[in-house]
Amino acid sequence: MATLAAGRGLASLRGLTGFLHSRPQSLSCFHSGCSLESAKNWERKNLTLHPPQLPEEPRRPAEVHHCRRQIKYSKDKMWYLAKLIRGMSIDQALAQLEFNDKKGAKIIKEVLLEAQEMAVKNHSVEYKSNLYVAESFSGKGQYLKRIRYHGRGMFGIMDRVYCHYFVKLVEGAPPAVQAPNSLDQAHDYVQGLRSRTIIHSL
Amino acid sequence: MAAPVRRTLAALPRATFRSLQNAEACLDVRHPLPFALQVRTKKRHFVPPAVRVKGRTQRDPEAKARAAGIVFRQQYMERPINIACSAGIFDPYIPPEGDARLSTLSKDGLKQRTEQIRQSAASQLAIRKIKEHDPQFTTKDFPQRAQEIFIDAHNALAQFDKEKLHSLVTERCYPEMTRGNRYKTIRWRFLESLEPPRLVHTRCPDMVTKGNLYGQVTLRMHSRQTLAIYDRFGRLMLGSEEEPKDVLEYLVIERHLVNPYGRWRLHGKIVPAWAPSKDPVIKTVMIPGPELKPWEEFDALHYEIPKPKAVQWSK
Repeated sequence: MATLAAGRGLASLRGLTGFLHSRPQSLSCFHSGCSLESAKNWERKNLTLHPPQLPEEPRRPAEVHHCRRQIKYSKDKMWYLAKLIRGMSIDQALAQLEFNDKKGAKIIKEVLLEAQEMAVKNHSVEYKSNLYVAESFSGKGQYLKRIRYHGRGMFGIMDRVYCHYFVKLVEGAPPAVQAPNSLDQAHDYVQGLRSRTIIHSL
Repeated sequence: MAAPVRRTLAALPRATFRSLQNAEACLDVRHPLPFALQVRTKKRHFVPPAVRVKGRTQRDPEAKARAAGIVFRQQYMERPINIACSAGIFDPYIPPEGDARLSTLSKDGLKQRTEQIRQSAASQLAIRKIKEHDPQFTTKDFPQRAQEIFIDAHNALAQFDKEKLHSLVTERCYPEMTRGNRYKTIRWRFLESLEPPRLVHTRCPDMVTKGNLYGQVTLRMHSRQTLAIYDRFGRLMLGSEEEPKDVLEYLVIERHLVNPYGRWRLHGKIVPAWAPSKDPVIKTVMIPGPELKPWEEFDALHYEIPKPKAVQWSK
């Protein structure tokens, strides 16, 4: 009786696996951890087409998105350089990176020069100096795992870190950043206090 | 589990009978016993030879087929490619200098030159060849049809209708028309035709083999059009939508004559050497300067930008 039941169960499982193999990969009913299409979304942002502007609209500034993937550097160390050049004009950013001693500075400089050339060639930017860094950030790449040997037969898993670097250049002068005035800060503080909602009151 | 047990039980009487025989044999000296007597490890089962497929290498099916006498035809690893258009414009038409210029002095000369096509014998021969393959071809009504093809092709380019564009334009012309236009908006309008389109030149080249004929017909068209190209961000790059321009064009229309499904399609344009320069782009472009040696200086005031040589080219 038990053997009979086991036999039937085995047969049904075999049928199920066969059915799964015949279906294409995209329709598998198993949830896989990784997404099926690679997430190269930043590059795709360059492929948007805007409709022609009406004459009364303000001229839309040109934007270029560029990135470099799998840089052999830490994302936390790269963040410092990305934060440094955020909001600078491209010439100022290139100058700062050229005289920075970090390893990531050289890489970011190459990425900025590539993006500048792309902007002039493909994205109809008129003057190559008329660009500023609108967005600049780093992200985690795919790590390789290795074994780090400790004493007494203990080991740790060592990560070989990689990072991605993303930058968005926009045509025009960099927007002027206003340093927060003490009077403005006080004003904002008082506004915050006044706009509080008192709950559970009479 | 049950089956092997049953088999051993059945095999027991047989084993006992054999052991009796062996006992008798060991008493006889003339027939000496084998050194090892299989009693416990005796093979008591039977496995048919077909079940043991695991360690077997695949027997050569080709050799088997040959032995059986089946003959396969030689398999050619080929991939057929259909070429429906020729690679370029053969023996291009050289437009006469000063065509469509308002020069009253050489009016007679113009009239002579822009006479009927009867002057050129090769074109007449070519027309005859085309007529024998395509009986509906006439010198009178073909230019009108060709103009319609031209207008439809440019409208399809503005809407970027790929299938329609492929049916109206040859494979050689398609990349030239669409390169770099994927992320741009084109607005094109055909306002009117200033002169009726005219057939000026015909040739019937053949490619690869002798009978593979393609008919190429050059058409002269003088018309008024508006063109505006907007870039990826919707900003005007070239031209304007309101201002019409008078355009004199020499179009080349082609058809694969030998193919019964061939169609007359736009193949290219001939730009004469004396054509006026086009309007500039609404953008400042950097022209690379001259190559300087380390001791030389660049004199910006007296530098002349080199102009390209005026050559007829076909697009």
